[in-house]
Amino acid sequence: MITQLPIINLLLFLGMALIIPLFKKRSFSLTTNLGLGVLFLVWISSIVLLYHVITEGAFYYQLGNYDRMLGIELLINTFSVLFSLFIVSLVIIIYIYSTGDATEGVAEKEYGRYYILLFILLFAMLGILYTNDLFNTYVFMEILSITTVSIISIKRKKENYTAAFRYVMLNEVGSLSYLFGVALLYMITGYTNIELVSEGVQSGWSLYPANILTAIGFMVTGIGIKAAIFPFHIWLPDAHSTAPSSSSAILSAVVVKVYILIMIKILFRVFGIDIIQAVHIPTVLLVIASIGMIMGSIFAIAQTDVKRMLGYSSVAQIGYIVMGIGMVSMLGLQAAFFHIFSHGLMKAALFLSVGAVIYHKKIRNVNEFDGIGFQMPVAMFVFSIAALGMIGVPLTTGFISKLNLGLAALDAGQVVLIVVLIVSGFLNALYYLPIMISAFLKDNKDQQRVMRVEKIPKTMLVPLVVLGGLIIAIGLFPGELLSLLEAAALSLT
Amino acid sequence: MSFLDALIDHINYIGAMALFVIGLHTVVTHSNLIKRIMGINIMGTAVFLFFVAIGNVTGGVPPIIDQTNPDAVYINPLPSVLILTGIVVVVSITVYSLSLVIRIYETHGTIDQEEIAKMTSEDRDQ
Repeated sequence: MITQLPIINLLLFLGMALIIPLFKKRSFSLTTNLGLGVLFLVWISSIVLLYHVITEGAFYYQLGNYDRMLGIELLINTFSVLFSLFIVSLVIIIYIYSTGDATEGVAEKEYGRYYILLFILLFAMLGILYTNDLFNTYVFMEILSITTVSIISIKRKKENYTAAFRYVMLNEVGSLSYLFGVALLYMITGYTNIELVSEGVQSGWSLYPANILTAIGFMVTGIGIKAAIFPFHIWLPDAHSTAPSSSSAILSAVVVKVYILIMIKILFRVFGIDIIQAVHIPTVLLVIASIGMIMGSIFAIAQTDVKRMLGYSSVAQIGYIVMGIGMVSMLGLQAAFFHIFSHGLMKAALFLSVGAVIYHKKIRNVNEFDGIGFQMPVAMFVFSIAALGMIGVPLTTGFISKLNLGLAALDAGQVVLIVVLIVSGFLNALYYLPIMISAFLKDNKDQQRVMRVEKIPKTMLVPLVVLGGLIIAIGLFPGELLSLLEAAALSLT
Repeated sequence: MSFLDALIDHINYIGAMALFVIGLHTVVTHSNLIKRIMGINIMGTAVFLFFVAIGNVTGGVPPIIDQTNPDAVYINPLPSVLILTGIVVVVSITVYSLSLVIRIYETHGTIDQEEIAKMTSEDRDQ
């Protein structure tokens, strides 16, 4: 029974997306409650799967019982289950928030469509994590990008259409490059199953180096465009800042990470450490990660729209994760995984608290945040916790991930990377601290300094508090998560 | 002559690569949004051509079992089947981006990237 759970998870999401239109005539709370139920079911089954994988080891699932040479195969190991659990847990929090807010700018009759897209998005993300097949990954990637772009363009505004169009164009270039890489690998191995391809690549490396080199180039560039790694980041700030707040949180905290996880899968499971070191991929990754960490923060300083600023901050934070991958060591990979978790939590908290401010006060400009900490204490308090985490202040998850990255850099003997980490931390402080200072220390002209809980729906307040609590809790007790992440990193090789 | 032979032997691969570069050039340099979508389609065609060309076997026949000719060499059908999925995906992406272009034309009154960028920067200045 337990071995059937992965496919049941996927079908639950797909089924939920398909039955939402049937409830069009009923009250909308029926749809949201049912969706929450589905999310909780998948959450429980992910926990069961995680327990099963840790105690009994990884297992394969053949779709339709076809042989792995012909059919699609799912691989359920610590890596895929842990990250699917992370995605589902984070989405549950954001989902509860979105039932209060769904929505700034989305017409009321589009709510149902929004949730259809959300569940197809979840289906594609879990599929990408579970699948053990390169071509299947491509198909799920396209489902993911088409639902993402629909979520961006669901608000009927000018800038959403242009941002969505740019997203489609660049992402399509990325996926076609990836597909070209798959074709080049198919040419030498004759398979699309990741493990069979990996065996073929290892034995064919001395015979067809040109083919494999081109394939690595196409695949890493393609996924790099989709993951918004530094020189290819231009679509991200527009796309993430124009989407409704709750979907900005999902796009920034989860969807971008899924592409990075595909990249980790390809680098470590398909090609293996020996080949990627022979073609100097780690050096390339470290250089672009360092430039991205600095430049993303510098662009963020120049922004006045708070959501665009958070978008550019994501570009810098993706640099941290890529840096961890680029060290190609156990410690580096573990630090990258931890930063995927901690950035997911912090960026979700930032986007949701800013979303609450936009919902309540209708302001988006950084300069209008004067004294808002007294009118919206909960939202701005969570914002401050997450922003301090981004800077890397102790007691938060951000500190632990920077500590781990620094230790990994020392272990690899790359002192330059530590300098980059510290400089990037200072730059983060340069654009997050002014918002906190103006929110809590400056007076607003026409409002008195009365501290009281803001009047926004409870369904928006509770997720914010939970996120803030999680950032501090994991920052205080990271041990359990780190050992799980180590198991996940071990399961890749 | 060996160069020409190599060229003729690999004409599918060279053609695919050339199409890919043409498509990429169209996507990156043209400011007309419809031409960009065409560029994406050309890139897609390049990848599909490449994939199908891999499955070819010299002297092979279509992979339909023929009882009268048991020694027949069949071409590899798997890449063609994969590409059917790929075509469907690119068609849906094309349809979606074309519908976005319609919306952009309704809201901006133009489908030229440079004019749209000019309008956006004017909006931001106000």
